[in-house]
Amino acid sequence: MRTYVVRRLWQSALTLVGVSVLVFVILRVVPGDPAKMLLPEGAPQSAIEELNRQLGLQEPLYVQYGLFIQSVFRGDFGQSFQYRAPALQVVTERLMATVQLALAAMLITVGVGVSLGIVAAVRRGTGYDYASTVLAVLGQSLPNFWLGIMLILLFGVALRWLPTSGFESWRHLILPAVTLAAFPMALVARLTRSSMLEILGRDFIRTGRAKGLAERAVILRHALRNAAVPLLTVLGLQIGTLLGGAVITESVFAWPGMGKLVVDAIFFRDFPVVQTVLILSATLFVVINLLVDLLYTVIDPRIRYS
Amino acid sequence: MSAAAAWPERRAPLFRLSPPALVGGALLALVVLASVLAPLLSASDPLKPSFSRRLAPPWGLGGTAAHVLGTDNLGRDILARLLHGGRLSLALAATSVLLAAGAGILVGVVAGSAGERLDALLMRVADVQLAFPVIMLAIAIVAVVGTSPAALVGVLALSGWVLYARTVRASVLTIRRLEYVEAAYTLGATDLRIIARHILPNTIAPILVIGSSQFATMVLLESGLSFLGMGIQAPRPSWGLMLAEGRDYLSNAWWLATIPGVAISLVVLGANLLGDGLRDLLDPRG
Amino acid sequence: MPEHALPSVGRRRFLTLSAAGLAVAGLPRPSHAQARRSGELVAGLSERMLTLDPANHYSISSTSVHRHMFDPLVDVTNDSKFVPALAESWRPVNNTTWRFTLRKGVTFHDGTPFNADSVVFTLRRVKENTKLIKSFVYQDLESVEKDGDHAVVVTSKRPFGSLPAHLTMLGMLPPSAGKNEEAFFQKPIGTGPFRFVSWTHGDNIVLSANPSYWKPGQPRVEKLTFRFIPELSTRAAALRAGEIHVIDRVTPDLVETLKGSRGVKVFDVPAVEAQRWIFQLGKEPLKDQRLRQAISLAVDRNVIIKELLLGYGRPVDSPVPPGLIGHTSLPPKLYDPEKAKQILKQAGYTNVSIDFVLMKDFYPKQLEITQAVAAMLGEVGIKVNIKNLEIATAREQRSAGTYDMFYSGWAHMPHDPDWYFGQWFTKAGSEKLTRYNNPRVEQLIAEGRVPDPKVRQAKYEELERILWDEEPEIWLCYTVAIYGVSDRLRNFEARRDYYVLLGDVSIA
Repeated sequence: MRTYVVRRLWQSALTLVGVSVLVFVILRVVPGDPAKMLLPEGAPQSAIEELNRQLGLQEPLYVQYGLFIQSVFRGDFGQSFQYRAPALQVVTERLMATVQLALAAMLITVGVGVSLGIVAAVRRGTGYDYASTVLAVLGQSLPNFWLGIMLILLFGVALRWLPTSGFESWRHLILPAVTLAAFPMALVARLTRSSMLEILGRDFIRTGRAKGLAERAVILRHALRNAAVPLLTVLGLQIGTLLGGAVITESVFAWPGMGKLVVDAIFFRDFPVVQTVLILSATLFVVINLLVDLLYTVIDPRIRYS
Repeated sequence: MSAAAAWPERRAPLFRLSPPALVGGALLALVVLASVLAPLLSASDPLKPSFSRRLAPPWGLGGTAAHVLGTDNLGRDILARLLHGGRLSLALAATSVLLAAGAGILVGVVAGSAGERLDALLMRVADVQLAFPVIMLAIAIVAVVGTSPAALVGVLALSGWVLYARTVRASVLTIRRLEYVEAAYTLGATDLRIIARHILPNTIAPILVIGSSQFATMVLLESGLSFLGMGIQAPRPSWGLMLAEGRDYLSNAWWLATIPGVAISLVVLGANLLGDGLRDLLDPRG
Repeated sequence: MPEHALPSVGRRRFLTLSAAGLAVAGLPRPSHAQARRSGELVAGLSERMLTLDPANHYSISSTSVHRHMFDPLVDVTNDSKFVPALAESWRPVNNTTWRFTLRKGVTFHDGTPFNADSVVFTLRRVKENTKLIKSFVYQDLESVEKDGDHAVVVTSKRPFGSLPAHLTMLGMLPPSAGKNEEAFFQKPIGTGPFRFVSWTHGDNIVLSANPSYWKPGQPRVEKLTFRFIPELSTRAAALRAGEIHVIDRVTPDLVETLKGSRGVKVFDVPAVEAQRWIFQLGKEPLKDQRLRQAISLAVDRNVIIKELLLGYGRPVDSPVPPGLIGHTSLPPKLYDPEKAKQILKQAGYTNVSIDFVLMKDFYPKQLEITQAVAAMLGEVGIKVNIKNLEIATAREQRSAGTYDMFYSGWAHMPHDPDWYFGQWFTKAGSEKLTRYNNPRVEQLIAEGRVPDPKVRQAKYEELERILWDEEPEIWLCYTVAIYGVSDRLRNFEARRDYYVLLGDVSIA
């Protein structure tokens, strides 16, 4: 087991190197010029070239990459082209908001999603089942921005129960978290339902019931545990979505998160910020998925790594 | 797990599908049929603007029978755009799902049943790709090959294959260790046979669920990419583009974005119900 | 929390307080211009501010915010008149020399005095540090010298008649900023009506009143916050919910909704911006003036203004908007699709197909308008391929010249057309843009750079007549700036340059 973990750590490091190289190269190879994004429409070509030179973009690719890696090990991720402030600072300013939103959304996703899935599986074929399916479908298919703006119009403008946008208090967190959670919640609900249905019929469950164990104990202990494998897979991947893919929710709610930061940075060709966010989120992603893989062995002892 | 359950019935006569699944299938078929028959169902031109008839509400909410679902910001009939757009969006989503599923299953099976090294390599490739926001991949691909339906399908498929791969791989890892499978190995069965007879049938259930979920994802992803100019180019309608164009009108002409949203919901509902029904059928335990 | 419920005050206490208030009101007011400041303003801007350095951006939103922390030498009024700010007066000594006489008695937020050293520092810095975004504008400067503590003489290599106009956008910095620029811009100080408090990159900036501002009566609020909310629906919702008090960049379609909302008013004013479509003049087919003319005749600008912009647009009668130097009245462009078809036929264009490139989400309603134009051009037999591209990619195509038509615009932020002409209608300027090349026009532009307004007007009128005939671009309309404003605000002025300036605004 220990060798497995060590090997995975090593592979994770390789993954991160791969990511950094890929990000670096893609940014510089894809058409689009940071200087043209920063300078106004009325700037002469000489100014554009001069700014590109100042930003270090005229050097050969491998030189730029080398300099970049050197500075990363010093903790310096470069200066944001847009903000002319350290990229790391610009990114970490958004950390609090991003984490809060992700956690809140994850809470709703798991809480509501798993509950819906359990209800649907246990009360299979009844109205509860159909209702949860419809609810899940709505969550999945309603476009993010539509849901967000409608919630704002209803709860923010018409009823004035909740604030419309911004990152200030816990009340500001509610609508964006609900909006962001809608899609993964639906996925989780459906997966829970189908995994549980699979398990509920298995022999040892029937044996458990026969032995007279309380129905709830049977369900929760065995069924949920066995349904956890695909569930964890999905959750592990969803973290990536929540962190980097929350751009539409963040845009609609003017939520200062990393999703919108990185997308704006991509459009703006703000290389240092894109590089910083991707490397940080890749690191997080790799770590989380390593944990998920390890959790597999805990949950399902049949999975073993040598 | 009983032996009987390990060899599920492969025949799937239609009448064995539960009522909700049939409803789902019917819904899906209806939408697909309507899209295919678009020119017959609506005489209006989905492309031609009509300035005097901008933002007309649907019939029954202040509009006229001439435009049952109202008109958009350029006075074009929404029903016509919905039907024509449906063709494009459904075709794109279906193709992408098939492509993603195919690639993902392949990778998942290979990773799960092959040696440690190959598994690790494939999963690392998946990790590296997953670490990239879809948007960045989309921008990169489109910047290089230009905007086209083919590029769009490529981007969509690229965003989706990993879910299949990981789920299939996890299932494969679980099943591989089971006694009867190990028994089959010692009895001389080849890998391919093991895969075909033991592993694949047990992965179909989650695949179907994921696939039907992903159909919705693809349609929504298409809309996201259309926001960013990566998707279908105006004035050709697609549900994604209609959503994007309706975004700024939610306060005063909500039907522009809501109607394609409803269409998407119906498709997703149908796909999910059908997917669930198929799963129940092919895996009748419980 | 926006809601302004009065705290419940007991009746007796209320009377006591108001009696005391009346007594205070009766006292003679101190002669120093202390503004009666109260309350908090929140503005919602559509464009993110990217920097706190006035010399390092060319964004309208940043200019709006910076104007509250920093003062420029010259201000520009809403009817494009240049008025004193930190410079009391200025005059051209000769064609290449300007002299600015500075206002006395002004201090920076840290108490240090504003004087010629500040001006010299600010101008030299923007010229010499070529990493700064505004630097290229000031490359023509030759020397900046102080003449005593309250006057500065600026000389340039070529005539720089538009210098005062450009200076309206350059806030003056204290020389101490030069010691450690990075630290300075973490907590900048200027001479403006508000002081910097805090900033979250790309999200919001908080300012507090400067009690010793040199302009009497300003500012009128204690605290000013700018929030950056690019999403239109969200910005409007925040205004309607009473959470913010001003929003900019309202689209015509939203006007009715806002007018119908409780507590909200709508202001609009014709802007100093022209919406235009540029042609790629360096290659076929738009190299051909006849094709351009046909396209111009085939587009019904008035219908677009009336139906798509709901009347929020003004027909163009000159490449330069009204109020600016150089504006003149030229014969309006007609809509005549039949004539267009004739021209196309005579010139032999039967199956023309052109690429119309847009920068995604750059201008409001641009995609809508482009689709309308595509339909109109389709009627005369020209096929338009709409390419709604990501901004960076679109600009690459523009530099490379692989477009035919490109959706563009120009807002005259300095209220002076010299920059516009110099960029788009000189050979060097348009080399990586439209590839325009007309030596006569170029000469007129150079001659129009002198400080004498009469000379400039004459030169510009002549060159505009040439442009009007050549049609290197299609000017769709002058835009109209629409603002949504809370009815609690007093003294709000809807600016033609899209700036949101709140120094003089109070909240009830």
